[in-house]
Amino acid sequence: MSYIIPLIFITVILLSVFRKQDPYSLFIQGSSSALSLMMKVFPYLVTIMVAVEVFRISGVSAVVADFLSPAMNFFGIPKELTELILIRPLSGAGSLAVLENIFITYGADSHIGRAASVVYGSSETIFYISAVYFSQTKVKKLGLAIPIALVSTFVGSIVGVYFVGII
Amino acid sequence: MKIVWTLMMVVSIVTLLILNPQNALVAMTRGANDAVRLSMTLVALYALWLGFFQVLEKTGIAGVLAKVLSPVVRFLFPKSKKETRKYITLNMSANLLGLGGAATPMAIKAVGSMDTGDTRASINMIMLLVISSTSLQLMPMTVISLRAAHNSASPADFVPASIIATVVSTILGITMVKLYGLFLKRKEKKRENPELVEEKKNRKELPLKAFK
Repeated sequence: MSYIIPLIFITVILLSVFRKQDPYSLFIQGSSSALSLMMKVFPYLVTIMVAVEVFRISGVSAVVADFLSPAMNFFGIPKELTELILIRPLSGAGSLAVLENIFITYGADSHIGRAASVVYGSSETIFYISAVYFSQTKVKKLGLAIPIALVSTFVGSIVGVYFVGII
Repeated sequence: MKIVWTLMMVVSIVTLLILNPQNALVAMTRGANDAVRLSMTLVALYALWLGFFQVLEKTGIAGVLAKVLSPVVRFLFPKSKKETRKYITLNMSANLLGLGGAATPMAIKAVGSMDTGDTRASINMIMLLVISSTSLQLMPMTVISLRAAHNSASPADFVPASIIATVVSTILGITMVKLYGLFLKRKEKKRENPELVEEKKNRKELPLKAFK
């Protein structure tokens, strides 16, 4: 698996040279838009991450997680994963901290550790994505996009946690 | 997002105000700091991948890839422009390989090329958001490396279950967006129809009135 990335890069650069193009200038051309892209994305990043941090440090996230854990149990998800499921759509860095905590507390190879890996590995930071994707447009109304994304991810997690117990 | 954010902020800060007010500023500053650090990482990733994709695009590989995936992309994103489909193809390929940092700038470009200046997201934009969220992923590298760092005996042993989970969530997500699209279309038709019905009524009423 680790061979894929280097191979892709070599192929693309060599092919570019082979086609009598200048990969050096092309790379500069492409990367030149990275900073301006980040300038537009950055305000969303700060706004979301400030909220996530107070949510975690105030302990509200743990309380909400406690409150939701009976419902999680109903779906076969260990209650230790509730906070992870709660934070995951909001912040990648925040949920990675929660995941690491689970590994430290229960061990990476425990059932809870493996189930947490599935939950993290099969989901995305939905709220962050939805802010960033539309950062360059005037779009404000997303319709049912976020509810649909959240529900399908959650169902996926339930199925994944079920299978990690079997496989 | 508006509601979620406001709720999170207000409830959390009120809780901090009661329990330990000195932590409020600490927490918010830490969040902002995290964002700055993350943006530094991301800007590096964006620069690397945008540069690479520019080279890739000019080699013609992107075009070939777009053609290969074309049936899938056309089904998911009907009536999309060629340019949009190319960005979406690159986004999907990057997501499959677990390169989130490479997928995001491509998705932003794809959404940008779908933009019509409307404030309402089109059904294709919603589809892109949903399939990016369910993240069909073959190798969740972040988790694998974190598990390896925590002395897991076999860090990748959860991957089959994880793939099943993303396949299920992706199929479910696509189905729901398609149904949602149908629902929106019907709603639009209904919005147009009352006028049609009224016109018909008017036509029927006119001769009657004339009769009276």
